[in-house]
Amino acid sequence: MVMIDVQNLRKDFIVSKKKKGLRGAFVDLIKPEKEIFHAVDDISFQLEKGEIVGYLGPNGAGKSTTVKIMCGILQPTSGSVMINGLSPAANRKEVVSKLGVVFGQRTQLFWDLRLGESFELLKRIYRIDDNLYQTNLKLMDDVLQINEIIDKPVRQLSLGQRMRGDLVASMLHSPEILFLDEPTIGLDVEAKYSIRKFIKEINQNFGTTVILTTHDLDDVEQLCSRIIIINHGKIIEDGPLEMLIDRIAPYRYLIVDFYKLPEEINHPEIEVMKKENTRVWLRFEKNKTSAAKLISDLSLRYQIRDLSVEETKIEDVVRQVYKS
Amino acid sequence: MLKHVKHYISVGAYSLRMSFARQLEYPSFLICWVIGNPLNYMMGVWMIGVITQRFQALNGWTYPQIAFLYGISLLSHSLSVLLFIQTWGIERMVIRGSFDRFLVRPVGVFFQFCIDYINLIGFTDMIPGVIIFVYGSSVVNFEWTFFNTIKILLVLVGATLIRGATYTILGSVAFWTKSSRSLISMVHALFERTTYYPLSIYPTVIQVIFTFLLPFGFISFYPACEFLGQDSGFDFPLEFALWTPVVGVILEIIAVSIFNRGLKKYESAGS
Ligand SMILES: Nc1ncnc2c1ncn2[C@@H]1O[C@H](COP(=O)(O)OP(=O)(O)O)[C@@H](O)[C@H]1O
Ligand SMILES: [Mg+2]
Repeated sequence: MVMIDVQNLRKDFIVSKKKKGLRGAFVDLIKPEKEIFHAVDDISFQLEKGEIVGYLGPNGAGKSTTVKIMCGILQPTSGSVMINGLSPAANRKEVVSKLGVVFGQRTQLFWDLRLGESFELLKRIYRIDDNLYQTNLKLMDDVLQINEIIDKPVRQLSLGQRMRGDLVASMLHSPEILFLDEPTIGLDVEAKYSIRKFIKEINQNFGTTVILTTHDLDDVEQLCSRIIIINHGKIIEDGPLEMLIDRIAPYRYLIVDFYKLPEEINHPEIEVMKKENTRVWLRFEKNKTSAAKLISDLSLRYQIRDLSVEETKIEDVVRQVYKS
Repeated sequence: MLKHVKHYISVGAYSLRMSFARQLEYPSFLICWVIGNPLNYMMGVWMIGVITQRFQALNGWTYPQIAFLYGISLLSHSLSVLLFIQTWGIERMVIRGSFDRFLVRPVGVFFQFCIDYINLIGFTDMIPGVIIFVYGSSVVNFEWTFFNTIKILLVLVGATLIRGATYTILGSVAFWTKSSRSLISMVHALFERTTYYPLSIYPTVIQVIFTFLLPFGFISFYPACEFLGQDSGFDFPLEFALWTPVVGVILEIIAVSIFNRGLKKYESAGS
């Protein structure tokens, strides 16, 4: 079932170019120079129910803008977004009642009040009945330990605690779709771990469709079955993570520690990447040969003290995609 | 429909509770207003007293009559501050992208926006409003019959809507231009000039402008004329007690539709 259908979406911003100096200020006043900027430039994709999709791209690529159009905050310049068959522009209230939205850089909670007050207001806004409200709070307490902080004023919460609060706030009404725009930004390992666990659990238990924007590729690796990469407002990759890795960097690394560093390592399937003291990084293509075969070949010729196998770092893959 | 109203009431009531709690977190700020605002308006009406007693009545209006008019105006001002003060800050909210939160929730955006921060300062204006109005209405021997009471209430509702709608329309300009703060300041001054004194002291051109173009005359002047039997300068069919709420409701409908149109232009803020 298609949950989100985005067709030929565009969003232009009109930005005025400011000139320098007093003279420039006068010129701007009389004849301002406007420029059209394509923040989202002809994007199309479809999301199935229950997918967790990583929406990636460098800063300023147009990720947040896309998310804002999908949840009805911004009107598209052209193209269409359908959420469960409805357009957020035309049926805002109906569409947003099925959405949960978190912007990591900006909280939706009331700064001066205890966290629970924000939840109580949301309970009324979404008309959540007492049973569901209590059940959901309890469920989320299991993963995010929300009861520890529910009585604290939001301004006293740490970044990680506040993000936990924002996530609970976005899920109280059991939405079918969850938009998470950089939910792990600036968080420590522990907080990231519990947030990932939370996303996994709601996806498994409720079949929630999740769109996740992040710069943390561990998030992507652990959560996303599919990634969409955009740059300059255009989609440049869309597919499962493994496929992308296989296509762009189908490598593994063998890190070997020798007793004595060999002069030269000659093997048709191995490429030497780096040497450091007695340790050597060797790259091989994973669909041409196996680590086991290479290890046995090498141990015939050299004395090996220690070794390990490493996967391609997805960071390297993504960096390469951004560059192209 | 009833379900709809109930939904909005429950959201509204809880927001109200939250705004009070938020403001009571910073009591020192409130205390300034509790003292300053009533003092400001009491001194305003005192000044008019001094002027009318020294220089005779203003255009045939006695001091108690002006106090009556001043009272209606100030009461509607305080109500509009309570309900619509958020509209003064649309400029800031547009620039900061603060409408995002309202747009992703299944309740009317204008409603959420107004109710988000019901301002206690409105009550500090209400205190002198009540005092001055009670004083004026008793000295001019205003008769508190059932119909007169209903009329006064209708006038207050209408006057509050005229003020609120004007703020909303001017504030919404920021959706297009990113700035509206100065328009709000300007209209504040105009309200002061046109609703605390009889409009008839001004030249006819001004009276026409503030009747047909910017209908501020309906806030306090025309209703006061009718209650006090003063000459309004214009002959209207029907009673002013009816005109004021009608003008108020029409203006409010226009205001909300302009606000909603503005929201379509809203660009959030980069994040
Ligand atoms: N309200 C706005 N007005 C003008 N330009 C904007 C606005 N919002 C975003 N942009 C621009 O659009 C581009 C995409 O922004 P955004 O979608 O926030 O990127 P990101 O992928 O980092 O989330 C950026 O260059 C940004 O400067
Ligand atoms: Mg962003």
